[in-house]
Amino acid sequence: MSESAIRTRRWSRVEYDRLIEEGVFQPGERLELLAGQLVVREPQGTPHATGIRLLTRALREVFAEDRWIVDMQLPVALDEESEPEPDVTVTAGNPRDFLPSHPARPVLVVEVAEASLALDREEKGSLYARARVPEYWILNLRDRVLEVYREPHPDPSSPHGWAYRSRQNLAAGEHVTPSAAPTARIAVTNLMP
Amino acid sequence: MSESAVRPRRWTRVEYDKLIETGFLGPGDKIELLGGQLCVSEPQNNPHARAISLGLETLQRALAPGWHVRVQLPIALDTESEPEPDLAVVSGGPRDYTDHPSRPALVVEVADSSLALDREHKGSLYARARMPEYWIVNLVGWVLEVYREPGLDAGAQYGWAYRVLLTLRADEQVTPLAAPSARIPVADLLP
Repeated sequence: MSESAIRTRRWSRVEYDRLIEEGVFQPGERLELLAGQLVVREPQGTPHATGIRLLTRALREVFAEDRWIVDMQLPVALDEESEPEPDVTVTAGNPRDFLPSHPARPVLVVEVAEASLALDREEKGSLYARARVPEYWILNLRDRVLEVYREPHPDPSSPHGWAYRSRQNLAAGEHVTPSAAPTARIAVTNLMP
Repeated sequence: MSESAVRPRRWTRVEYDKLIETGFLGPGDKIELLGGQLCVSEPQNNPHARAISLGLETLQRALAPGWHVRVQLPIALDTESEPEPDLAVVSGGPRDYTDHPSRPALVVEVADSSLALDREHKGSLYARARMPEYWIVNLVGWVLEVYREPGLDAGAQYGWAYRVLLTLRADEQVTPLAAPSARIPVADLLP
């Protein structure tokens, strides 16, 4: 499909939520709204699922449940035309705070990447940066490193005009400290499936 | 966005019709369902509109009774496509169809900025649906492109393409397969 020739209909987040409420999608469909596009999520293998569980466990130890929510694959009201369901998010607050609307301002977003590495780095990285998500991790199962992205800044060459200025690659044996939990030290080994 | 990485959600024609019924897509939305994608049509300029009117008039004159010409109305092409070609020649009269027609004898698109889309994308879709004849009134090259004989073609967008392409200039004539005795001057179709 030559992209110049075809312009597909973009959906706003409000429309997307209405499509879900109206039952337009098939039951069990795994979708995300990314910059107005309805994108099908890749099926998950056991390493991917294991990575999510390990991340969730490690982050729940660091982010106390009276003040923080650590979610797995739940919707984020990222911007007017994006509603991704990141593998793991950390958000300030309590569950009932988000009864009226999905969390919009996570302090940390994590994607576990195998086949989806390019999508997670370029497309989602640029979207999260554009929404000023302060910290974004990719648990890169292919190279067995944790990629830590910080400092969103405008970058015209990125798909959505924004990118992260700082990127650190942490290998097993190293530690990561989330910006929102400055005293924590999480061993990267503990996150790798 | 690297294409290998993003897999857009595809819509079926049944879902598409539901989007229209439930009001997600309205008459003001210029959308066609092409190969599962909701494609936004380009706004029409005056030459485009003129070419549609000329094509309508010319085809109506050339066709025997038993056919009618539809203008930018939906075609139930396949399970994931519901295009609205600029012109479609279908058998019978308007009251013969309780659903959108699915087998026009001829579809016509008027192309200026949409030429690449009409040739590659729609051409392959129409060929895949075995439309016997497809015309592009090419306003860029000021010619009529006549496509016939849909056949398998692994290199095409949807695995099908037309085997025959006749490019006819303004001083030439065209005979639609559905009207074997007609001789339509191409000049009559160019705005």
